[in-house]
Amino acid sequence: MDLKTLLSFEWGMMAPEFTILIVAVILSLIDLFGKDSIKKYIPSFAVAGIGLALIFLLFQYGHEEVSILYDTYIFDSFAFSFKFILLIGTLLIFFMVLSKQKDEEITDRGEYVYLLLSALLGTMMMASSGDLITLFVGLELLSLSSYIMVAMRKRNKRANEGAMKYIINGGIATAFTLFGMSYIYGISGTTKLVDISREMSSALGTTEPIATVGFIILFVGLAFKISSVPFHMWTPDVYEGAATPVSAFLSVVSKAAGFVIIIRLFVTIFNTGVEGNETLYSSMIGFVAILAILSMLIGNIIALRQRNMKRLIAYSSIGHAGYILIPIVSLSAMTLENVWFYLLAYSFMTIGAFMVIYILEQSEKSEDISIFTGLFQRSPVLAISMTIFLLSLAGIPGTAGFIGKFNIFVGAISADPAQYILVGVMAVATVISYLYYFNILIQMFIRQPEFEGRRTVNKMQAVPLIACITGTIVLGIFPFIALNFFS
Amino acid sequence: MESLNIYQNSYLFVIVFLFVALMLPIVALSVGRLLRPNQPTEQKMLTYESGMEPFQDARVQFHVRYYLFALLFVIFDVETVFLYPWAVAYEKLGVFALIEMLIFIVMLFLGLVYAWKKKVLKWR
Repeated sequence: MDLKTLLSFEWGMMAPEFTILIVAVILSLIDLFGKDSIKKYIPSFAVAGIGLALIFLLFQYGHEEVSILYDTYIFDSFAFSFKFILLIGTLLIFFMVLSKQKDEEITDRGEYVYLLLSALLGTMMMASSGDLITLFVGLELLSLSSYIMVAMRKRNKRANEGAMKYIINGGIATAFTLFGMSYIYGISGTTKLVDISREMSSALGTTEPIATVGFIILFVGLAFKISSVPFHMWTPDVYEGAATPVSAFLSVVSKAAGFVIIIRLFVTIFNTGVEGNETLYSSMIGFVAILAILSMLIGNIIALRQRNMKRLIAYSSIGHAGYILIPIVSLSAMTLENVWFYLLAYSFMTIGAFMVIYILEQSEKSEDISIFTGLFQRSPVLAISMTIFLLSLAGIPGTAGFIGKFNIFVGAISADPAQYILVGVMAVATVISYLYYFNILIQMFIRQPEFEGRRTVNKMQAVPLIACITGTIVLGIFPFIALNFFS
Repeated sequence: MESLNIYQNSYLFVIVFLFVALMLPIVALSVGRLLRPNQPTEQKMLTYESGMEPFQDARVQFHVRYYLFALLFVIFDVETVFLYPWAVAYEKLGVFALIEMLIFIVMLFLGLVYAWKKKVLKWR
C-alpha cells in the first residue's frame, strides 16, 4: 500500500480512539518521569482526555458510514451509540476514582488510571471493528488490562484470589472464543465480517453442522465478558476482590463491550440468509434463550443469600445480563435500541449503587450489608440516593430501569415469534429481585444503625452521585431524549 | 461443497497421526517387555542420567527474578522476529510498512523504558 491510499482514509473518524491512546501513553510517561506535584493530577488529566474524546465523538453524530483499512475499522451509528455508553460509563468511573484522593491499598495510582484508559481503548476498538482480528485484539486489550486492575490491591488476599480466578477463567474463555472464530474462518476463509456473512448465507446448507458448533463455542466464550451463564462463576469473587471502581468498570463498561461484540458478531455473521430460508441465527435462538433464562434465575436466586454488598451486586448483574440477552433472542427492529437503552440505564444505576457502597465502605471499613443499617438517620442524602438506584435496579416506574425493562418486555412480546416463556421468566426473576433489593431498603429505613455517627458526602463524592441520579431519573421520566438521540 | 469436503477430510490426517502417536509407545513398550530378559540389579534400577549417579530432587526452584528477565528477553526476541522479514521485504512493502514498524518499535521502546524505570533490570 502506498502513501496515497493511506492518506485517503478518513483518519479523523478515529479521533476519539487516538485521543484515548495518546492520553494513556502521555500519562504513563508522566507517571514514570514526572514530579510528584504533577503526578497528583494524573486522574484529572485522564478525565480531561475522556471528556475530549466524548466531544470528538459527539461531533461525529449523524456522520455517514466510514470504513478504514478494508473494514478493520468501521464507523456506523451502532458504533457511535455504543461508544457513547462506553465513554460515559468510564467518565463516571473516573469521577469515582477521583473522589478518593489517597488510597492506602493501591500504591500504583498511575497504572490504575492508564490501565483503565487502555481497557476503554480496547472496548472502543471492539465497538467499531468489522474484522475478527481487530475484534479479538480489542477484546484482549480489555481483558489483559482488567486482569491487572483486579490485582491492583497487591496486599489484599481477596483481590489476589479474585484476580487469579479471573485470569484463569478469562484464559479459558479466550480459548473458547478463538476456537469458535477458527471454525467460522474455516468455513468462510476470511476474517472480514461482511465477507463472512455473505459466505455463510450462500453455503449454509452444507456447512450447517460446523457453523452450529462454531456458533455455540463462540457464544460460550463471549458469555464470559457479559458474565452470563455458563461463564458467570468468576463474577462474585472478582467483584468482591477488586477495588470498587474496578468492579463498577467490569460490571458496566466491560459488560457493555461484551454485548457490543456479541451483537456485532452474531447479528452480522449469522443473521443473513437467502430470502425465505431460515437463518442459522433463528435456528439457534433456543440456545441463547436457555442461557438467558438460566442467567436470570441463577443470578437473582443466589443474590437472595448474599450479605456482602459487592457480591450481591455481582449476582444481580448476572441477572441483568440475562435481561439484556432477551432482546438479542427476540430479534426485531427494536433490538438494538432496547439493548442500548438498557445498558445506558444500567450504567447509571449500577455505577450509582457502587458509588454509595464505595463511600460507606471507606467510612465503615466493611462491605457487609449491615453498613446500610439505619442509613436514613445517619446520612439521609446517601439513603435517598441509594433508594433511587435500588428502585431503578428493581424496575419501579419513574426510573430508567423501569423504561429499560418495559421496552425489553414489549419488544419480546411483539417479536415474531413472541417469546412468552422468556417474558414470563423475566417477570418471575424481577419479582425475586424485589426481595433482596427491598431488603436493603428495610435496612436503611427501619433497622437501628449498627455504626455510630453521621456520614457526610464531600464535594468530589457528590459529582458521580449527582450525575447518576440525574441520569436515572431523567431517563426514567423523559426516555425519549435518549431514544431520539439513538435514532 | 467441494472446499468443505477438503476441509473435513483434512481431519482424517489428524486422526491417523493421533492413532500412530498413541500406538507407538504402547506397542514398543509392550513388545519390548515380552522380548527382553528380566534380571534387575540395583545399578540397573537407578534413574538414567548420562552415566552420572543421580543426586538432588528433580524439581529445581529458579529464582522468581529470572522470569522478569525472561519476559524482557521475549520482548526483544519477538521484535527481531518481526523486524527481520520486514527488512528483507522492505523494497516491496514501502512507506506504510515503515510507519507500522516505527509504531511497533516505539511501543516496545515504551515498554523497555517502563521496565527500566521500574528497576526491572536491577538484580535486587
